[in-house]
Amino acid sequence: MPDAMIGAIAFVTLLTIMVGARGIRVARTPDDFMVAARQVPPGINAAAISGEYLSAASFLGIAGLVVSQGLGSLWYSVGYTAGYLVLLLLVAAPLRRFGAYTIPDFAAGRLGSRGLRQVATALVLVIGWFYLLPQMKGAGITLQWILGTPYWVGVATLGVVVSVNIAMGGMKGITFVQCFQYWVKLCAIGIPAIVLLMATGHDSARNLAPEHSPVFPQAMVVSLPQATDFTLPGPTEATVTGLLGQHQFRSQAVHLCACRYSAGAGTRIAFRAGAPVPVSLAMAPSSAQSWDSPLLTAGTNGAHPLAATYGVIIATFFGAIGLPHILVRFYTNPDGEAARRTTLIVLLLLSTFYLFPAVLAVLTRLHAPELYLSNDSDSIVLALPSLLLPGLPGELLAALVAAGAFAAFLSTSSGLLVSVAGALSHDFINGGVTSFRWCAIAAGAVATVAALLINRFSLALLVGWAFAIAASSFCPLMVLGIWWRRLTRAGAAAGIVVGGGACLSAIVATMLGAATTGWGAVLLGQPAIWTVALAFTVMIVVSLFTQQSVPANVNQVMLRMHLPEALSRQAYQGTGRL
Amino acid sequence: MPDPQTPPPVRQLVVWRHDQVHVPDDFPGLGDLRDDTSHGRLLARSYLRAQLGLSLMCLAIALAATASFPVICALAPAVGRITLAGLPLTLIVLGFAFYPVLLAIGWFYNRQARQLEARFTDLVDPQRKQHDA
Repeated sequence: MPDAMIGAIAFVTLLTIMVGARGIRVARTPDDFMVAARQVPPGINAAAISGEYLSAASFLGIAGLVVSQGLGSLWYSVGYTAGYLVLLLLVAAPLRRFGAYTIPDFAAGRLGSRGLRQVATALVLVIGWFYLLPQMKGAGITLQWILGTPYWVGVATLGVVVSVNIAMGGMKGITFVQCFQYWVKLCAIGIPAIVLLMATGHDSARNLAPEHSPVFPQAMVVSLPQATDFTLPGPTEATVTGLLGQHQFRSQAVHLCACRYSAGAGTRIAFRAGAPVPVSLAMAPSSAQSWDSPLLTAGTNGAHPLAATYGVIIATFFGAIGLPHILVRFYTNPDGEAARRTTLIVLLLLSTFYLFPAVLAVLTRLHAPELYLSNDSDSIVLALPSLLLPGLPGELLAALVAAGAFAAFLSTSSGLLVSVAGALSHDFINGGVTSFRWCAIAAGAVATVAALLINRFSLALLVGWAFAIAASSFCPLMVLGIWWRRLTRAGAAAGIVVGGGACLSAIVATMLGAATTGWGAVLLGQPAIWTVALAFTVMIVVSLFTQQSVPANVNQVMLRMHLPEALSRQAYQGTGRL
Repeated sequence: MPDPQTPPPVRQLVVWRHDQVHVPDDFPGLGDLRDDTSHGRLLARSYLRAQLGLSLMCLAIALAATASFPVICALAPAVGRITLAGLPLTLIVLGFAFYPVLLAIGWFYNRQARQLEARFTDLVDPQRKQHDA
């Protein structure tokens, strides 16, 4: 089985490198490297944005989280899509018409301050690195699952491939790579979902019942490849071979109680039809609420699910505006109208993609409940095809899924690395193409090392946190910068530092295990619920106190951002610049 | 403002032709935007307000359509237990139904924003259509 998967991953990786390499000959100036010289038509650009956006969290994380925590986790996929509607409504066309390359460029151009640019650049690095970590984790667990290699091998492989590719090709190549990656990802999740849906039918809707504990639809032998701790939600009889609890069994009928068990590697347990499905501790739901609840509990240990759900909604709806690797793509549209068209196509492409993680999660729940014994919810999508469809078809589907997963890590981490390296070389070092190359390699190395430390957090959760930081810092900067004349550089800097800082501190505190129960867990685990409002408030209040430093050209800049291109060209012919 | 180059008053003959009644400078337009006059600022402000109003309206509709679902289910838990054709309502709503709603709002916004731009262009630059033609 691994052969087909390795082949598929190698194929995607090689193809990515080759398509990227075509860009080397074309990309010569820093402008080419950074925004593909603004010559990309909306359809291609939209696929490229979607390809870059659909990361490990979307491909593996959401389905896994839905299986283990319940349907409420689908708020992540709704939010990741809705973020583009918010972006379309508030930012897309004005941002393109403003005509800067990066968020720090926007901040400096709109408010005219070198200090503010450095603050913004620092935050691009924070968000970019934070977002890179789950991609690296995804690669680590994927290779671990397919080849049994240690976690670090996958992480290091992705780090090297992406850093070197970026350092060689820049973004001219990457635009076509990203476009291609979207279609790879859509096929790699859509085809397995449709084929498995048709192959399995839906005769066992019993498991869609609201109880959080599924049952085996038919008698099933579960074998555990590695030692696993699990809980059994109800008592049952089963035939056990191998180590379970303190005892070594040899095909013996055992009465299992509703309690916790430790099974040794290689243990096989034969369950009867209708027996409760054992759940590994890594997959245990974090709250007692029913599986079909629309509320979300990941990241807060199940405390105050309604507040936690709104934390994720705010973070994902408003976070897309502040993602540095996404915004840079809007400069590759020819004009503001094209930017709006592109964003609408992105909405369509994302909506299509996000139908499938839900389908895969429901199929797992219905037909492959033994996956509740996985040691990591993020590997479920990889394991599902060969379980449901034995033999060659299942293997081929599994290879397709593995290739799509790798496409997800490659494309998102490439886009992020371009942004991080661009910010480093453009704003901190002030260098050209050579420094961009070295920055790409350095930034990739930092992310690779950091990714080795965050193994235990779910992919969707990690990406959700990157969104929370973006929503609490760059979102107010972009929204107020585009729509509010009275924003000042002091206000912008204060809002970014206070909002982004508060959000980052809360997340780091959660990662270190600061508060695990009650309101503390919610406010630290889903900080967007208060840090976004905090950032907006600080930005507005400080701006109102520093009105003397409103930029003198604010009226022209506003017009330039909001008027159609033809009109603003005419209005400013003669004045020449902004 | 009298121009120093103007010929002496005796020689001045003003003929009001029909198409010259609306002198462009009397009418707030492109020139006012360019020169940042009070007329121009007023125009720009009202245009910006219209665009912002449209965006906020669409945003409010989108939030009302999607983000109200958790509250509804919290207030009326029976809603969350509904099943349609054996599928939980949560799955149908979060897994499928929201996406067409988001797309429809996006499509509506794009159309309205384009119309606002076209109307503003007509307002400040009425000759533009002739230029384009």
